[in-house]
Amino acid sequence: MLQALRTTLDDRGYLECPTPVRVLQPGVESTLFALPSGDRWLRTSPELALKKVVAAGLPRIYEIGPCFRDDEHGAWHRAEFTMLEWYRAGATLADLEADVIALVTRAADALGVTPPGPWRRCSVRDAFVHATGLDPWTTPPEILSPEDAGDPDGAFFRRWVADVEPTLSGAVFVHDWPPSQAAAARVVTRRAGAVTRRFEVFLDGIELANAFLELTDGSVQRARLAQTAQEQADAGVPVWPVDDAFLDAVDRMPPTAGIALGVDRLVALLAGWDGIGPGLVPAGD
Amino acid sequence: MYNTSDIKNGLKIELDGQPFNVVYFMFVKPGKGTAFTRTKLKNLLNGNVIERTFRSGEKLAPADVAVNEMQYLYNDGEAFHFMNTETYEQVAIQADVIGDDKDFLLEEMKVQVLFYKSNPVNIELPQHVEMECTYTEPAVKGNTSQGATKAAELSTGASIQVPLFINTGDILKIDTRSREYQGRGSSD
Repeated sequence: MLQALRTTLDDRGYLECPTPVRVLQPGVESTLFALPSGDRWLRTSPELALKKVVAAGLPRIYEIGPCFRDDEHGAWHRAEFTMLEWYRAGATLADLEADVIALVTRAADALGVTPPGPWRRCSVRDAFVHATGLDPWTTPPEILSPEDAGDPDGAFFRRWVADVEPTLSGAVFVHDWPPSQAAAARVVTRRAGAVTRRFEVFLDGIELANAFLELTDGSVQRARLAQTAQEQADAGVPVWPVDDAFLDAVDRMPPTAGIALGVDRLVALLAGWDGIGPGLVPAGD
Repeated sequence: MYNTSDIKNGLKIELDGQPFNVVYFMFVKPGKGTAFTRTKLKNLLNGNVIERTFRSGEKLAPADVAVNEMQYLYNDGEAFHFMNTETYEQVAIQADVIGDDKDFLLEEMKVQVLFYKSNPVNIELPQHVEMECTYTEPAVKGNTSQGATKAAELSTGASIQVPLFINTGDILKIDTRSREYQGRGSSD
């Protein structure tokens, strides 16, 4: 399985880059919670380190390795899980879609199961309107979700999680997300209002991967990190240090598309399990 | 108060002035955005199942409910009567609340009686019950088709589907939730 993923990316010109698991700054978003490790943090994803590698001049890189997120427990979540993350300089989101289809198809072959498909593409807006009859860009939050009045992000995601995600059957690329959640992606303006250039991959209603056209402006990234720090302080959780080498890398990075895929979920979804269970191998605890 | 991280199957919470039992939950963390727990909640008063999605950090009120094992005594047409076999306290629950559970209620059977704010409001049957088949058509010789079933009448008057080899007088093990035949009972 891991071999199938590595071979697929190797064949497509990617270089495997192991980066540190213990880091100074474990992530960029206040909605993630990191686990401490001595005077460092366990990474929530290898994003920061891999962007430094892209900025240093390697245009196609990937890493498969453990990542850690506190306060995430359930059938499809574990505090420790295996992430496959890859970056491709000069690429479009469509290039990443092609990578995903190649990876998932080869992984299915390795497991001896029928590959998912046909793959389809939809926008967040269309999926939302289809499931709820409401356009999340134009509907006030108190109409979307009365308990989230005054909180557009909260209202959007509550309805998304409750009513839209479960309708995403089959293999779907979901594009064009509301911009307020753009942690590190670029924002453009479109017909339905401002959207973030990113997509999520769903297999039978479960999120498998998350792709971005990456932000390449260090000052914008710095402002977003300041906002993250403010949100962490307001919530009374530890405020992460800022890794200046990461901000420097964001400034120097060429236009790049990046994506992270949950390997445990891929195995479970292909195998038809109803959760990631013990993960890739029986853990014994 | 409970936190969203306390949510698990069987947790009893109060919502909109009604007690609910968590019958399904799923933690969901959108790719970007805060985490939620998607739930299905069974109303303990009327049995209706609703869906609710809680955001991480939201508080849930515990429901003022208690469960006591009691013995089923009889029904008088309007209500079903149960007794606490230690205190001999008796309670009555309206027939429309008992609903189809009456099909698997035999006198002297032990059931869980649910009290909400000290009032008896509902019962929970054991997952499996054993009941006598009081009538079923004799098996037709030579019909061995896989999965074929026929109707069997139970001592409560209810009817379920059973395999062809079941005879009148057999003790049947039945799943009270799915109403499905599970096998022949131990007293067979």
